[in-house]
Amino acid sequence: MPYTLNIAHLYGDLMNTYGDIGNILVLNYYAKQMNVTLTSEIVSLNQPFDPEKFDLAFFGGGQDYEQVIVSKDIQGKKKALTDFIEDNGPVLAICGGYQLLGQYYIGAQGERIEGINALPHYTKSQDNNRFIGDIIIKNAETNQTYHGFENHNGVTFLGEGERPLGTVVSGHGNNGQDKSEGAIYKNVFCSYFHGPILARNGELAKRLLLIALKRKYPDADLSAQEKLRIKPTY
Amino acid sequence: MSFKSSVAIAAGRASYWFLHNFLHGGTALPGKVTLALDPEVLQTLSKNYDVVIITGTNGKTLTTALTVKVLRTKYANVLTNPSGSNMKQGIVTAFLTAQRTKSGKPLAVLETDEANVALITRYVSPSAFVLTNIFRDQMDRYGEIYTTYDKILAGIRLAPKATIIANGDAPIFNSKKLPNPIVYYGFNAGKDREQMAAPNTDGLLCPNCQNILHYYQLTYSNLGKYYCPNCDFKRPQLTHQVNTIKKQTPTSSTFEIDGHPTTLHIGGTYNIYNALAAYSVGYHFDIEPELITQALNSKDEKIFGRQEVISIDDKEVTLILVKNPVGLDQVLSMIKTDQAPFSLAVLLNANYADGIDTSWIWDGRFEELPFERIPSVLVGGERYRDIAFRLKVAGVPAEHFEEHENLNAVLESIKKMPTKHVYVLATYTAVLQLRKAMASQDYIKEGME
Repeated sequence: MPYTLNIAHLYGDLMNTYGDIGNILVLNYYAKQMNVTLTSEIVSLNQPFDPEKFDLAFFGGGQDYEQVIVSKDIQGKKKALTDFIEDNGPVLAICGGYQLLGQYYIGAQGERIEGINALPHYTKSQDNNRFIGDIIIKNAETNQTYHGFENHNGVTFLGEGERPLGTVVSGHGNNGQDKSEGAIYKNVFCSYFHGPILARNGELAKRLLLIALKRKYPDADLSAQEKLRIKPTY
Repeated sequence: MSFKSSVAIAAGRASYWFLHNFLHGGTALPGKVTLALDPEVLQTLSKNYDVVIITGTNGKTLTTALTVKVLRTKYANVLTNPSGSNMKQGIVTAFLTAQRTKSGKPLAVLETDEANVALITRYVSPSAFVLTNIFRDQMDRYGEIYTTYDKILAGIRLAPKATIIANGDAPIFNSKKLPNPIVYYGFNAGKDREQMAAPNTDGLLCPNCQNILHYYQLTYSNLGKYYCPNCDFKRPQLTHQVNTIKKQTPTSSTFEIDGHPTTLHIGGTYNIYNALAAYSVGYHFDIEPELITQALNSKDEKIFGRQEVISIDDKEVTLILVKNPVGLDQVLSMIKTDQAPFSLAVLLNANYADGIDTSWIWDGRFEELPFERIPSVLVGGERYRDIAFRLKVAGVPAEHFEEHENLNAVLESIKKMPTKHVYVLATYTAVLQLRKAMASQDYIKEGME
């Protein structure tokens, strides 16, 4: 295969709830159809993130305990991750990963847990409530509809320069108030969707792969890849 | 016995008698009636019993059944609660309806829901706890593995003298200091080799220094001979161990516990853990190891109901309940031990009893199935689209792949499958629906144990 892409699976051994690893399996499934060899590597505690080495980053959700540990460790990767993001590197961040890319989130005991502030959103907590259930959103720019399953206590509010991944059609979304779900900033895509998100929303997988390909191979003719038809899976 | 307790117990027994004789059911309601009249009735009911509480995410039912079988080799009065009735009311009913036939010390072996342990030990002083494992289960119900363990610990703290019989291969059971005497059981069946757990495994952080645990031996998920490369946290000394695993098939396992040959007539490495737990309880209650393994060796169809073999015309259909990723992976490993070609059906529903979030299917390693030996794959159930895509991503060939939402159609397709062996993996309500379809064609009797 002429194209190769290398994914950084951020804290893949700690941030892996609700089938999030499926996102990498699905990326690989479509990558093969796009004539791309995909490799994935875990970048975890005490390991540096080298922005030069990776074409794509995936950051899943974790359990409270693990996320607190990750919050401390990721401060050491803050600069490298921010550089990657500012340099238009594509990132998919789900749930806890989404929260930790932002300013902070509030933990189960009301404590403030620091993110890396690469994106300006912040996350508060709900008292004894979680948003749980099927969710549908619509992205106004692409006119695509995304299906997922949300399960989160955190309520996230977007900051300047961020736009939502979609507008809530049914379900709760970021905070249950402003009808927004997820976030887009440069080539970073954030969401509370499990399911996993890419399994039910192949168009988004294709978009991430195309962004990564165009960034790595700016002169390549990717028209065949762009033509890949994504069959509905949900 | 207080007057209040006597009235409550009498009312509970009467409601059980009525339900049992006229409505053919009732395991929760009599307990409910009794508890409403006397919330502390368990104290009275359990007074003379040696109580064993069995809890954990996976394996509660089989460990309880095997433990009862083992204990009955020596003790005449062993009470237990029926599978699934593992909340407080079900346990009260089990005591209410116990028939004491012979003299001697009565024992109660109670399968107990993780969140109900403290509700029981508030009134009952158990002599032992058995902790099987804690894996991620339906998180919409209980949350995280640490929260689940805290719920169990809240119950254990009320009984600081009870012996804890715990899976020593599970790091979480070594993470908190407790005053109780502890017996650990585990696997020591391979050569030591430096390794790490698969990326999407839960519970890999050292509780002392929060580094990722490494392993010398890994049974599955995060179970094994673990150690922390950064501090002195490591697997504790095992009191009872599986020394060798000789042979595993989908329907049996042959192995040795503390050097005693054992053959279990049900497949799956996870069931070896359950047998080992039952062995450890038997040993704790002074039963001779030979007597224990004899009890484990005997075939007992009733115990193995969660893995049922049903004849559908010329097909031998093994119906297996799946409910969480670790359980699913274990079932996949087990069916792989079938040397003959086989067909596979995976049925996925997403009702409350199944777990309304289906994303756990992505944590199961369907990729490791030997598709070259599986000439026919079928998916079904309300969420057949989700499971169909999961299997496509796992690499199931497009030819000989069928999708049916309706479980009657699934049954018709099973009859036409090209192999004698058919494995059906199904979530809880899908098992019920498929059994109903099978019962309507007289392949099995209606109802479920």
